Amino acid sequence: MVLAIDVRQITKIYDGKIRALDGVDLEVNAADVFALLGPNGSGKTTLMRILTTQFRPTSGEAYSFGIDIIRNDAWVRKMIGYVPQETSVWTDISGFENLLIYSKIYGVPSSRRKKSISDALQIMGLEEMADGLVKKYSGGMVRRLEIACALLVKPKILFLDEPTIGLDPSARKAVWENLIFFKNEYGTTIFFNTHYMDEADLYSDHIAIIKRGKIVKSGTVNDLKHSLHSEVLLLDLKSHALDETALTDIRALDCVRDVVVSDSELRVFIDDADTALPKIMETLWRKGISIKKITTTRPTLDDVFLNYAGSITAVRKHSPQNAKGAPAWD
Amino acid sequence: MTFFNSLREMFAMIELELRRLRHDRTEIYTRAVQPILWLTVYGTVMSHVRDIPTNGIPYIDYITPGVLLQSTIFVSVFYGLTIVWERETGILKRLLVAPASRYATVIGRAVASGVRAVVQALIIFPVAILLGVKFISNPTYIAAAFLMLFMISGGFAALSIFVASLMKTRERFMGIGQAMIMPLFFASNALYPIKLMPPILQSIAFFNPLTYAVDAVRGLMISGDVANIPADFLAVIVFDILIFAVASISFRKIIE
Repeated sequence: MVLAIDVRQITKIYDGKIRALDGVDLEVNAADVFALLGPNGSGKTTLMRILTTQFRPTSGEAYSFGIDIIRNDAWVRKMIGYVPQETSVWTDISGFENLLIYSKIYGVPSSRRKKSISDALQIMGLEEMADGLVKKYSGGMVRRLEIACALLVKPKILFLDEPTIGLDPSARKAVWENLIFFKNEYGTTIFFNTHYMDEADLYSDHIAIIKRGKIVKSGTVNDLKHSLHSEVLLLDLKSHALDETALTDIRALDCVRDVVVSDSELRVFIDDADTALPKIMETLWRKGISIKKITTTRPTLDDVFLNYAGSITAVRKHSPQNAKGAPAWD
Repeated sequence: MTFFNSLREMFAMIELELRRLRHDRTEIYTRAVQPILWLTVYGTVMSHVRDIPTNGIPYIDYITPGVLLQSTIFVSVFYGLTIVWERETGILKRLLVAPASRYATVIGRAVASGVRAVVQALIIFPVAILLGVKFISNPTYIAAAFLMLFMISGGFAALSIFVASLMKTRERFMGIGQAMIMPLFFASNALYPIKLMPPILQSIAFFNPLTYAVDAVRGLMISGDVANIPADFLAVIVFDILIFAVASISFRKIIE
């Protein structure tokens, strides 16, 4: 299958000295929701601006559905939608007028214009406010209008730079619900930058973490969480008498990294709770130990992000091994 | 195909400008105050100075084309501010990612500014009539004069977009804009004939496109002397083509 985005060794150096991107490799599948996570100044926006043909990289190659983004930029512009981080609608005209002007700029034929605009308004839930001046809109409505403008041409890829920055939780939820509805309807690939981990966790199929111009980790949300090897099973046992052989048996399991016992509580460190739990239960069962309660603690995407992207000062001063992208507790 | 796309984008830009005007006309009215003061205060006072050779034309009538042009040029020279504002927001980034050429974007915006300028002039025009300025009653001449207004305003808007693409911030742009407007206006024949100027100023006036625009508008609206009109139009067309090209080339710089 053709990749929606295929980035190979992209480097961007500003003014001959600032290395904003340093050999980025990235693959995005068609019809995926892809989140690019990274701390401020890590190169997220630079990468997006290269992918949306705003400027060229210093070196490297990038393709979108097999089309060279750098050399065939005019062609690529016809199939992408882009919503920058900053406001990108005119605030002194109405929402409908913004859509009308953008539909003309994007070249939506006049026969389809009305339908495109009403579709976009409907998808983004803006029908009722369409005729109001944009300066009277709330932040969430402005953002939905901006996305609506990008949906006019039914793009193959939609690029969103920090799509929900500065919005309240209900406005964020509304933006995403509308986006996912659109994506499911048209099979659009969505590529977005964010540092809201919960959004990446909830809505993305794949994630990449960028740090100082390099992709330090990529995969599905679950891959990334498992990669920390830090899931914990907390087993509350019915009896206090946990015999040593049972403990040894559990320790001997492949999937178990460590076991700590305190009173009737058994704390098991594992890679992946989904596969480890049945094995541990079976072992305990065989020894006739019954369980009162099981709690699983999994790393959140926040943990993943902090581990791979870290805080820049902390990485330099306290944990040099983190700089190589290895989990701090390995 | 590309040509039609570009044309369509240009029209979209003009439509945008007109829609913005429709929602808020205050700017048009407030901007009309200054030129009206020029005519009523400056014009009235200076008309008592008999030393300015105006070929027998009343002084207020003589400066009306200059004042009309000044008010429209003012709109154009500061049009770059819109572009600077759009740079600070995400609009320019978005326009550059749209499937349209940057030439169409620049020319579209400049032409849109020209349309805005004509609307501006249409407000001042009746006021000048009320002040007793006698216009040539030939509609073709008046239409040609408005065409000149439109062309020169578009050109200066392109110049302003060019300056905006170099300056990039509001503060720097304001400085340059202010510095441009004074010599433009005073080193032209807007308020007095060129032959009254010292030689250096005369040579500046010779390269000042506004001189040709004023000459054409004055000929078409006031004096009826149309001998220089083809040369005036040619000069302004050359200016427009050059500045459209320069502004289009440097436009991409603005988002870097």
